[in-house]
Amino acid sequence: MAYVNVSQSRGKQKHGKKKKTKRVGVRIDMTPMVDVAFLLLTFFILTTTMSKPETMEINLPPSNDVSVPVAESNLLTLRITPEFKIFWNIGIEKPELVTGDNKKARLVSLGKMLKEKNAANSKLITLIKIDGKAKYIDMVDIMDELNLNNINRFSLVPMEDKDRQLIEKL
Amino acid sequence: MSKTKRVGFKLDMTPMVDVAFLLLTFFMLTTQFKPTSVAEIVLPESHSKFKLPDSDVMTVTVDKEGRVYLGLDSQNLRARVFGKENMLKAGMEVDIKDLGKLMRQARLSNFKLRTVIKGDKEADYKVIQDVMDVLQKENITRFNLVTNEERP
Repeated sequence: MAYVNVSQSRGKQKHGKKKKTKRVGVRIDMTPMVDVAFLLLTFFILTTTMSKPETMEINLPPSNDVSVPVAESNLLTLRITPEFKIFWNIGIEKPELVTGDNKKARLVSLGKMLKEKNAANSKLITLIKIDGKAKYIDMVDIMDELNLNNINRFSLVPMEDKDRQLIEKL
Repeated sequence: MSKTKRVGFKLDMTPMVDVAFLLLTFFMLTTQFKPTSVAEIVLPESHSKFKLPDSDVMTVTVDKEGRVYLGLDSQNLRARVFGKENMLKAGMEVDIKDLGKLMRQARLSNFKLRTVIKGDKEADYKVIQDVMDVLQKENITRFNLVTNEERP
C-alpha cells in the first residue's frame, strides 16, 4: 500500500533550527489505478464491437396520386396473404400461386418469375398488394427481392376485400 | 562460500501499463455510441447496403405492438416540435392522426429532413401501410426503411 518514507537527515544542527533538511520519499502503489484503466479498456473493447451496422433499404418513391393509365398486359399484380402465399397474374388472367414450401423458396421462385416476366416485357409495372394482417418483415422481404432483381417500376397498394375474395376462390 | 541464492525478481510493469493506456485512449476516441432508440425494435434483414445518414433524419418507429413513435435527431428540433420538456427524449409516442401534423411542423423547420421508417419485423403490415399513407398525404414521396444487413 502507499506509504510515506520520511527520512530526515539529522544534519549538523549547529545553526539552530534553520536548516531542516527534510527529504520525503513517497512511494505510491499504482495497482488500483491500473485496475481501473483495465476495466475501462475492457468496457470500451466490448462496447465498440457491439454496434451492428444498420443499413437502409433503397429509396421507395411511391407516387400513387398520379393515376397513369396502364395497359392490362403491362401490369403484373402480386397479392401476398398473411400466410405468405404469393398469387400473381398479368392483366386480368387468373392468379397463380408461387411455388415453394417455405418463405425462402417462394421468394426465390418469385425472383425467377419476376426476372422472366420483366425480360419479356420491358414496360412491365408491378403492383404489390399485401394483406394488412401480414407482417412488416413480409413487405421488406418482397421489396428486397424486387431490388435484387432490379425492378424499379412498382407500386404498393392496399389489399381490398375483393382481392381477398378473389384469392379465396382459388 | 555461501552462495546467497536470491529467488524472487522484480518485474517492472511500466511498458505493459503504457500499452494498456494507449489502447484505452484509442478505444475512447474511436467508440461511437448507438443513437438512443425510443423503443425496442427487432429489425428485419435486407440485402441493401445503403448506409443510414447520421444527420437530418426524422425517424418513424413502429414497434411490434403497433405503437408509432416519432423521433428527430436534433435536440433543437425536438424542443420546437414536442416542447422543451420533451427535448431530451429520443422519440415520442404519437397517434397516427397527429403524425402528419407533427411531421409537417418538423419539415417546416428543417426542409432537409429525411424520413426513415424503423419497423419491428413482427409489426402488422397494416400499421406500416397507415404510416405510408400519412407520408403520401404529406407529400413525402421518398423515404427509407431501416434494416439489418443480411448475411447470406
